[in-house]
Amino acid sequence: MTAAQIRFFALWRREINRFMKVKKQTIGAPLLETFLYISVFGAALGSRIDELHGFDYVVFVIPGLIMMAWAMNAFSNNSSSLLQQKFQGAIQDQLSSPASPAELLIAFSLGGFLRGMVVATLTFTAGSLLADLPVEHILVLIPSLFLVGFFFAQLGVLIGVRAEQFDDVALAQQFVLQPLIFLGGVFYSASLLPEPFQTLTHFNPVFYCINLVRYGFLGFSEVNVALSLAALAVATAALFALNLRLFQRGYKLRA
Amino acid sequence: MREQTDIRNGDGGASERALAIEGLVKTYPNGVAALRGVSLQIEAGDFFGLLGPNGAGKSTLIHCTTGLAQPTDGSIRIFGHDAIEHYAAARLAVGLAPQEPNLDWFLTVEETLDYHAGYFGMPKKERRERARELLETFSLTEKAKERTRTLSGGMKRRLLLARALMHRPRLLILDEPTAGVDIELRLELWHYVRRINEEGTTILLTTHYLEEAEQLCNRIAFINEGDIVAQGTSAELAARYGVANLEDAYLALVGREELSRSHLEATAEVPA
Repeated sequence: MTAAQIRFFALWRREINRFMKVKKQTIGAPLLETFLYISVFGAALGSRIDELHGFDYVVFVIPGLIMMAWAMNAFSNNSSSLLQQKFQGAIQDQLSSPASPAELLIAFSLGGFLRGMVVATLTFTAGSLLADLPVEHILVLIPSLFLVGFFFAQLGVLIGVRAEQFDDVALAQQFVLQPLIFLGGVFYSASLLPEPFQTLTHFNPVFYCINLVRYGFLGFSEVNVALSLAALAVATAALFALNLRLFQRGYKLRA
Repeated sequence: MREQTDIRNGDGGASERALAIEGLVKTYPNGVAALRGVSLQIEAGDFFGLLGPNGAGKSTLIHCTTGLAQPTDGSIRIFGHDAIEHYAAARLAVGLAPQEPNLDWFLTVEETLDYHAGYFGMPKKERRERARELLETFSLTEKAKERTRTLSGGMKRRLLLARALMHRPRLLILDEPTAGVDIELRLELWHYVRRINEEGTTILLTTHYLEEAEQLCNRIAFINEGDIVAQGTSAELAARYGVANLEDAYLALVGREELSRSHLEATAEVPA
């Protein structure tokens, strides 16, 4: 390994180590939450709900839950990790190292990305055991999930860098992200909503993420898949470019 | 610790500047001018003391040198490497033991050292050996598996110093390393830093203990209100201010000569 590789892996390992040390909270709790959603919406309520667009209700819901698991964990891991390290001052150890702004940004991002991937994979495994979950378009599914994971990982870094107190992170997560995800159609199809809510849903970016992942699994989407995937890729690239710019400027990291 | 000497000999001669700061200005976004055009040269092998009252700009100067603060103007070169343009090479040469413990609560003592060395590109085997050696040196071996949060204040200080030394820096920056530590540890640290200085590591020390600066440093600079106001050996500084010792020179600098102990003793001798 070259010195640059050693450096990058050390930065990334630290991020992984952090969430693995508190895995009850960072992996166990999100898994339990997903399991509860599947039980309540799939088993308890689902039996009372007719098929949605030709799918069992629980099967319709699981792709959204997988996307939600990846997105929320990527976001909350990175926002908390950055804010905590800024709080303790511990981030100075990385900032005064030879690591470049891009190396720092990518390593911080990939921490949450990996945690999201772990929770999403476990959710997928549980979902496959509990229901008959198809995988129709793996070539759409994989890039969609990776982009969703990376987008929310970037968003977590952005909020974590900007945040000055724990309230700032909670605000973004509880008052913006969670409502957007819930109202983006994880648990229902937008076509069931009355107007104006049906149209409003189309202004929610998470709606497109959910549909992409749902299309990957079920082959069903309420939006144009190619266009959504392209838009998600552009949004992810733009967010990464913004973060990179902030890291290069040392925004709220270097005095 | 022969490697300290080896590294130094490996590139550049003893006459090379460890730190060359020219016209360094730092104005914080809130308008506070922390540094107003500081120029400072530290030769390789120096044990250099930077003294000044709180808020004089010591920590800002250190932060600019280590990349934690971004200079508004001026240049910083560390062993010839520009700290902005070639920050990677410059930072590789510097080890910082900060004034405020900035340890990661999630990590154990051992992990703290291992990650730090990783950030500096040190291979695994070398990291392990170096960590073992420094844990031993700073009597931290028994604490290796404990999280940093559980350490006492003195233990944290030791760990900060061990961490700064992990990647074998050629310039070691100690920002008030003995603030709040007990006498034994202070003396232990003195012995250790004096030894690594003799072995070739250049040291920049800030302290409020003038005795410490006198004991350890071959050169001392006074910084006040964001500028270097005087520098030289302890004796030169005393001579410059026309006083008997470093403490009186410092008091002259901050305009509190009336606190001088020799002055007080002299006044006490005058019959009432």
